[in-house]
Amino acid sequence: MDFEPKIVGFLCNWCSYTGADLAGTSRIKYEPNVRVIRVMCSARVDPTFVLKAFEQGADGVLICGCHPGDCHYTEGNYKTMRRFPLLKRLLGDYGIEPERVRLEWVSASEGHRFAEIVNDMAAKIRAMGPCLARPALTEDPAQR
Amino acid sequence: MEERRIGVYVCNCGTNIAKMVDCEAVAREAEQLPGVVAARSYKYMCSNPGQEMIQQDIRDLKLDRVVVAACSPRMHELTFRGALQGAGLNPYFLEMANIREQCSWVHEDARAATSKAAALTRAAVKRVVFHEPLEKRYVDMCPATLVIGGGVAGITAALELAGADQPVYLVEREDHLGGNVARVDLTAPYLDSARDILAERIARVRENSNIRVLLESEVQQVTGFVGNFTATIRTGRDGEVATTEARIGSVIVCTGYQPFDAARVQSYGYGWFPNVVTSFDFERMLRSGRIVTDKGAPPRYVAIVHCIGSRSQEFHPYCSRVCCMTALKYAHEAKSALPEAYVYDLYIDMHAFGKGCEDFYRRSAEIKTIFLMYRKGSAPEIRQAGPKYDCEMLIRVNDQLSGEEVDIPADLVVLMVGMESREDAGKVARMVNISQDKDGWFIESHPKLDPVATTTDGVFIAGACQAPKDITDSVAQARAAAARILGKIARGRIEVDAVFAEVDEERCSGCRMCNELCPYVAIEYDETKKRSHVISALCKACGTCVASCPSGAIKARHFTDQQIFAQIEGVL
Repeated sequence: MDFEPKIVGFLCNWCSYTGADLAGTSRIKYEPNVRVIRVMCSARVDPTFVLKAFEQGADGVLICGCHPGDCHYTEGNYKTMRRFPLLKRLLGDYGIEPERVRLEWVSASEGHRFAEIVNDMAAKIRAMGPCLARPALTEDPAQR
Repeated sequence: MEERRIGVYVCNCGTNIAKMVDCEAVAREAEQLPGVVAARSYKYMCSNPGQEMIQQDIRDLKLDRVVVAACSPRMHELTFRGALQGAGLNPYFLEMANIREQCSWVHEDARAATSKAAALTRAAVKRVVFHEPLEKRYVDMCPATLVIGGGVAGITAALELAGADQPVYLVEREDHLGGNVARVDLTAPYLDSARDILAERIARVRENSNIRVLLESEVQQVTGFVGNFTATIRTGRDGEVATTEARIGSVIVCTGYQPFDAARVQSYGYGWFPNVVTSFDFERMLRSGRIVTDKGAPPRYVAIVHCIGSRSQEFHPYCSRVCCMTALKYAHEAKSALPEAYVYDLYIDMHAFGKGCEDFYRRSAEIKTIFLMYRKGSAPEIRQAGPKYDCEMLIRVNDQLSGEEVDIPADLVVLMVGMESREDAGKVARMVNISQDKDGWFIESHPKLDPVATTTDGVFIAGACQAPKDITDSVAQARAAAARILGKIARGRIEVDAVFAEVDEERCSGCRMCNELCPYVAIEYDETKKRSHVISALCKACGTCVASCPSGAIKARHFTDQQIFAQIEGVL
């Protein structure tokens, strides 16, 4: 079987996106499954972005922000951290396994860490197979 | 929706992108997308001909949106926004797809990389359709600057700004100015006195009425934004404490470094052998004019060991940059004070990279310094010499030059301790909102092209708080930071990003949830209208409120839901 998972990454501009850029400038290799969308802060990641990604056929969603205490906006990542369990519960209701969404802290100097997270996530979701929640998401009239 | 006219430009970046991504195929695929009227690939999009090509198309093809698939937007977004503006288009009608840092440089399968690059470009095209014209905002620039740290970098920056008649607050934790340089005797490679370098500058600081020096002081808090910060400075120790509130437009962080604690490397016996000293202990001897062992006698054998804590997997992997030349300086100073003494220099590699340094190395050999090269990872070992030796200690070293394991005599061992970031650098970083790298050094905006700015507008870094560096480089950075600030002051007002959040008062229910969430107190509640609204000058565009508004009434300009939804559709 040659299923290749599609992962959407929401990366904060200041730490994680810069960290992912550093992986590039350091020529650290990782799997091409992740496609990154830049947001200013992980706290900008509206739960509907994640739902939208799964509805559009993503097999996984990765949210990355600055490490706790290091947020460019002082405390945005704490808000993300608090919202995340609620998001996971919501996704569970649609039959999306918790392993398909990840919240990780990646600093501007952690190019290696970003690469490791992507590789690990790609491997785990590859083993799980495609996300089957798409019909549930597209049919739900409550979905905006 | 009206028909868009989008131009897509795929950069080869020489071979940086093109060797892994089929740029022509990416352009051909983009050409098929709705609204795209031209898609081209080119060698270097950021070059003048590249930018002119985009501008030509904007004029000839009447483009109203532009996508550049190239390097990271962190690298060239401003460049291409400038190109759009130059051709009369609103600069925010640009979107970049990062197909270098996050694609060609990190993948090894050309087919997968090309398909990812095409997806990122498609997402950018879908997103740019919804881009709105945004106007730049301007805020006033307060001409005063806060300089944190009164070492050589801080002193230099303060003098430079004050010399241009601008007010400076120079804050130093200790009760004197000078920082680590004040602990040093002579400097490499020209052997001029550190005291002379400092004394003249400190006197000038003292005489300059534009500089307010606050000793025994620490900055407690910095609030506000570029051009309009307020700093709270606490002066004095327990008992008498005074607080100063300073209105400032810029900050330069010059907090320097701390020396590595030699006691952490056990094989050298620092703290155990009384005559194993650190470079700073040795500087103290040099400054007092007496090089002696603990028994008060001049040493017959002096050994200098490089890379204590530096270039080591166990401690700090980086090179501390100044120690090699400082070690040679010790050889010169020891030889001149004790002409009969033998001076050994134990090094891994001799890093003589600066101007005049290689020459200094040659002169050090001429004065008969005995050089021994040890291997990285096999540190020399120091032990007590027995009564049959005429020295106090023996150093076992596997000399790479002769290939032999030898014991060298020593009465005094000088450990060249490396530089490390200050223990409390994290506190400073959080206070002024800048980042630290894995070793704790502050991160500059761009390692080559923007070395003294940070990701926080209005906050600059200079000297060894950014990475180990010598006096020359610290002074250069301090003057560079001052020049950056003077440039902003000269313009009187500063341009701030047009990106911020807006509340649609029609949709706002007045629940005030966003009021509490905003870290900048930028959202105000209007009691009469029963609606919230954003004070745009205070908003830093994080988008926290946008994601949490239950009515969907807040819009993040340039990061709207619609734009991000389009981008999600595009990548999948």
